[in-house]
Amino acid sequence: MKILGISAHYHDSAAALVVDGVPVSAVQEERLSRHKNDAGFPSNAIEWCLTNAGLEADDLDAVVFYERSMLKFERILTSALRTFPYSWRSFPHAIKNSLGEKVWVRGIISSYLGVPRKKILFTAHHASHAAAAFLTSPSRRAAILTADGVGEWATVTAGHGTRAPGATDITLLREIRYPHSLGMLYSTFTAYLGFAVNEDEYKVMGLAAYGRPTMVEQVRKLIRRTPDGGFALAPEYFEYETTASRSYSSRFEDLFGSPRTPFEPIDMETTEGRRFADCAASVQRVLEDTLVEMARALHDETGLPDLCLGGGVALNGVANARILAESGFQRVFVPPAPGDAGCALGAALYADRIYFKNPDRDIPDHPFWGPAVDARELAKAATEDGQTVQELDDARLVERIADDLAAGRVVGWMDGASEFGPRALGHRSILASPQSREMRDRLNRDIKRREEFRPFAPVTPLETADRYFELPSGGARLGRFMSGVFPVRPEYRSALGAITHVDGSARVQTLDQAMAPRLHALLVAFGKRTGLPVLLNTSFNVAGEPIVNRALEGYSTFRRCGIDALVAGGVVVTKAAAPPREVAS
Amino acid sequence: MPAAYLDRMMKPLHRWVWADPDRRVRKLLMFAEVETDGGRDIVRAAEITPDPLLRRLYLEHAIDELRHGDLFRDRGAALIQTHPARSGGLFGGTPLPGGHGLDDLAIDGEPDYRLLAFLHVAEKSAAGRFEIYRDVVPDDPSTKEIFEQILRDEVFHMNYTYTQLVRIAPRTYRRHVWRARASRLWNRYLRVAAGITSVLGATMLTLMYFVLLPPFAWLAKRAERREGAGWRAISGDRRDAPSSQY
Repeated sequence: MKILGISAHYHDSAAALVVDGVPVSAVQEERLSRHKNDAGFPSNAIEWCLTNAGLEADDLDAVVFYERSMLKFERILTSALRTFPYSWRSFPHAIKNSLGEKVWVRGIISSYLGVPRKKILFTAHHASHAAAAFLTSPSRRAAILTADGVGEWATVTAGHGTRAPGATDITLLREIRYPHSLGMLYSTFTAYLGFAVNEDEYKVMGLAAYGRPTMVEQVRKLIRRTPDGGFALAPEYFEYETTASRSYSSRFEDLFGSPRTPFEPIDMETTEGRRFADCAASVQRVLEDTLVEMARALHDETGLPDLCLGGGVALNGVANARILAESGFQRVFVPPAPGDAGCALGAALYADRIYFKNPDRDIPDHPFWGPAVDARELAKAATEDGQTVQELDDARLVERIADDLAAGRVVGWMDGASEFGPRALGHRSILASPQSREMRDRLNRDIKRREEFRPFAPVTPLETADRYFELPSGGARLGRFMSGVFPVRPEYRSALGAITHVDGSARVQTLDQAMAPRLHALLVAFGKRTGLPVLLNTSFNVAGEPIVNRALEGYSTFRRCGIDALVAGGVVVTKAAAPPREVAS
Repeated sequence: MPAAYLDRMMKPLHRWVWADPDRRVRKLLMFAEVETDGGRDIVRAAEITPDPLLRRLYLEHAIDELRHGDLFRDRGAALIQTHPARSGGLFGGTPLPGGHGLDDLAIDGEPDYRLLAFLHVAEKSAAGRFEIYRDVVPDDPSTKEIFEQILRDEVFHMNYTYTQLVRIAPRTYRRHVWRARASRLWNRYLRVAAGITSVLGATMLTLMYFVLLPPFAWLAKRAERREGAGWRAISGDRRDAPSSQY
C-alpha cells in the first residue's frame, strides 16, 4: 500500500510517504520552501515525496491528515465560549484563522492531489504522535507518553503499544485536555522570557542551566497536581485562551516580575539576567518533575521496560534523561521528529498498521528520509565563483577534513539524504573541534549568529561515548537521535570546552557507524589527531533559517558566514578571499 | 515621481512618528525584520539563479540586507535599554510581528528579469524613504548614521539591479521596470483592501460574539463545571471512523 501522511496548518508542516509499511521519503516543508517553521500546506514536500518514490497522486491508496480538524475547531469554539466575554478579542482572529483554510482540509487535499475524498483519512493528533514514537522504534511492546501544546483537545496522553504479526496496536488509555497543558506552560515562559513561542523553547532549556530553581514554589502555583497523578493549570495566570497576542496574565507578572523584552541581552552578571535564568531553571524543574511522575506511574501500571515519548515536549533532552534515570523504564525511545512534523510519518504508519491492519514491518532506525545532496551542483557553483574546489575519494576526504578540524577550522558537512526532524544528525551539520570555549563563542557569534549563552552538542562514536560522557543504561539509545542531555565526565570537561554546557552537561549524539559511516570515519580520524574522537555538531543553518537542504543552500550559507570549508559528497570547497564588489555600470 | 513627492509631503508626519521613543523602537525593529526577510529572499534568489554573475551579486546584496537587519535590530535594542518602553504593550509578551520581505514576492519560479526589476524599484523606493527618515532624526546621531550607511549600500543595489536588468533583457527592460512599479501599486491596493476586509470581518464576528454566543457560553460554562481536572479516560480513538474529521 502507498500511503501519504500530511501535517500542516499550525507549525512545521511536513509530508511523509510510506510504501508497503516502510517509509520511503519524509521532509518538512520548511526545508524546501526555505521559510523556517513553514506551517502552510506542504505542497513542495508532497511533490518531492511522490517524485522521489516515482509515484503519481493517483497511485496513492490513502492520504492521511495528522489530526481531526473539525474536532480541533470544536475545541477552539468551546474554548471561546467557556471564556466568554474575555475572549472577545481572540474570537474573530480564531474564527477567521480556522474558517480560512484549516477546516476545509479534506477539500484542499482532494483538489490539490486530485484524489477522491474517500481516500482521505484522519488520525487523532496524539495518535499520530504515539505512532511516530512507537512504530518507528525497535521496541515490540512499550508504554507510550505524548505531550505537546495541544492537539484537538488532548495535551498529554498515556497508553501502550504492541507490535506483532497481524496484531499491531496502539491504545491510548487517558488524556489531559486543553487548557491544561505542559507545552503551553513551557511556551508561556518562553514568551515571558522574550523568546519566540513554538520555536525558541529550547533556548529556555539552555538558559535553565545558568540558573537555580529558586522559583519552583511560584511555578507550582501555576500548575497543581491532581490526585489521579495528572495536573491542572491555574487559569488566572494565563491568557492564551482569551487573547491572541499574550499568553500570561498580569497576575503572572506579579508573581515573576517584569517580562524580558525581545532583543534585551541576557547578561548573567546582572540581577535581571540571573532572575531570567532562575525562572527558566524553575519551570524546567517543574516540567521534569511532572513528566517523571507521570512516566513513573505509567511504568508501574504497565510493567513494561520500554517507553516511547512523542510530542514537542519530547524535544526536551534534560527531561528525557531524567525520565530514563528516575521513572523505572529501562529504555526510552524518542523519534528524530517527535514534534508535529513527525506526525506526518506517524499518521501514515498509523493508517497502515491500525486502519488497514497491514503486517508490522521493522522501520530502518535512522532519520535520513529527505532529499539527497548533489555534489556536482556544489562543484559547479563554487568553480564559477572562483572558490578552491577539490574532488576527493572518501578516505582522502576524511583525512583532509580531520586535518582542517584539528587545525581549528569550521566545516559545513553535507552527506546523502537530509534528516527528518529538527536535529542535524550528521548529514546537514556544521562540524568543529570541541576543545575550546573560544570555538563555542566563535560559532555563536560569527557563524550561527545567536545568543552567547547557547550551548553546542557533541557527536561521538557509540563505542567510545561512555568514555567521555556519563551515560546511564539506555543513555546511548537516547543519544542516537540527540534526545538526551547527560553529564560530560569531569576529567574531560575542560578538554571538551566547546560542547560542555555551564552545568557540565551536553546533548550528546552517540553515532552508530552503520547510521553515518563517513561521519564515523571522520570522528575516528579526528580522534587519532587530537586524542578525542568527539566533534561539535550543530545544525547547518544560521539563526532564523531552516537547515540547508540542497548543496546550493549549503553553499550560500558557507559564503555568508565564517565557515572555512564546505563538503558535499566527495567535493570540498575552501573559502577564497571575497572578490571586490562588482558594479557593472 | 508621485510616490516620492507624497513621501516628502508627509515629512512632518514622519517627524512626529519618529519623535516618539516607543514608535522609534518599533519602527527600527520592524525594519530589522523586513530587511532580514528581504535578505533571505535574495539569498534564495542567489540559490536558484542559473547565472553565475547574478548569483555573486545577489549574495552580496543579501549580505548587505542581513547586515542592515542587524544594524536596525541592534539600534532598536540599544534604544530599549536607554528608553524603556512606556507600556508593556510594545511587545505584549509575544514576538514582534515580522514583515515579509520584498512584498511577499515568490522567488521560486520567478525569472531573473522580473526579480531584478522588482528589486530595482523596491530599492529606489526604500532609498527615498530612508532619506526622509535620516532627515527626521537629527537628535539621534546613531540612528541617522545607520540610515546614511544603508543609503550608500542602496546606491550599489539600485545600480547593479538596473545594469543587470539591461544586460539580461536589453530590449524589454523598461517594460519590466514599469510592470514592477504597477505590481507594487497593485500589492499596496491589495494590502489596503485586505486590511479593510479584515476590519469588517472582525467587526461582524465581534457583533456575532456578543449577540449570538451568550446562551451557548452559559451552556459551555455549565458543562465545564461538571468536568473534573486531571486525567480523563479516552473512550476510544475513533479507529472505526478513519474518514471522520470529528
